[in-house]
Amino acid sequence: MRNLTRADWLVLIAAIALLPGLYLRYWGGEGPAAAVRISASGQRDITLPLSGEHRIHVHGPLGDSVIEIRDGRVRFVSSPCRGKQCVHSGWLSHSGELAACLPNGIMLSVIGRDRRFDSINF
Amino acid sequence: MSITVPTTRQDHRIAWLTALAITIHIAESALPSPLPGIKPGLANVVTIVALVQYGWGTAAWVAMLRVLIGSLLIGTFLSPTFLLSLTGAVASITVLRLASWVPGRGFSPVGYCLLAAMAHMGAQFFTAYWVFIPHDGLFRLLPVFMTASLIFGIVSGIIAQMALQRLRPVEEPAL
Repeated sequence: MRNLTRADWLVLIAAIALLPGLYLRYWGGEGPAAAVRISASGQRDITLPLSGEHRIHVHGPLGDSVIEIRDGRVRFVSSPCRGKQCVHSGWLSHSGELAACLPNGIMLSVIGRDRRFDSINF
Repeated sequence: MSITVPTTRQDHRIAWLTALAITIHIAESALPSPLPGIKPGLANVVTIVALVQYGWGTAAWVAMLRVLIGSLLIGTFLSPTFLLSLTGAVASITVLRLASWVPGRGFSPVGYCLLAAMAHMGAQFFTAYWVFIPHDGLFRLLPVFMTASLIFGIVSGIIAQMALQRLRPVEEPAL
């Protein structure tokens, strides 16, 4: 190490300083969930903040699905479908999470400050 | 009738160094890797030794010939791997050219190796991104790649330094 010149140190320090920046930039948190986008077939999407408490009835082809927003999370409370997959998805609290009731044509997607990937393939 | 091409001492030196670099390159390609794209890059040591001992011209020849002949021997010539190898080598040689102009004491082998490794990795990454996988998800790998190149760059720099310390008494820089 004693053979290192000033230019060496400069490059070494710059390189080491660069790494935390890279990790923060590309691995930095998922971004807390900020809002939920509710899409229902044939209707305009609505986006609601996850702060506060709401109970929303969304009208779909089979009837009303009930969606609850509480404590920064969102879930399907009930839906007039058969499988209740949407209800079993439970609470969504991370940016990028999805729950959908396909029979009733309703989808919840949680969005954060930044859009995240829902899948990555190589 | 035979044709004799006159060769210089420089040609022989390039040939020897290239042979050494190719041997390391091929041995290394047999090593398993945790992630495609991460490998020690020890062949780079030869490039740096050539740079410090004989100058940039020799180093550039050795690096380019190593990529060309190495790929022919491994069987990746003109494949995506070859393109990545080539852009990496061109980038590191370019950066080394710039670095060799730094006045004063300039860089030691460790600095050269680190610069070369990071340039190599950066160029490969962006080639992979632009040409093969234009998906933003690839950037999730960038920090890992750069960390690997930092570590391997320093390690191969230390190896190059040790090699040079033993080489210097044997042969004085002739160019």
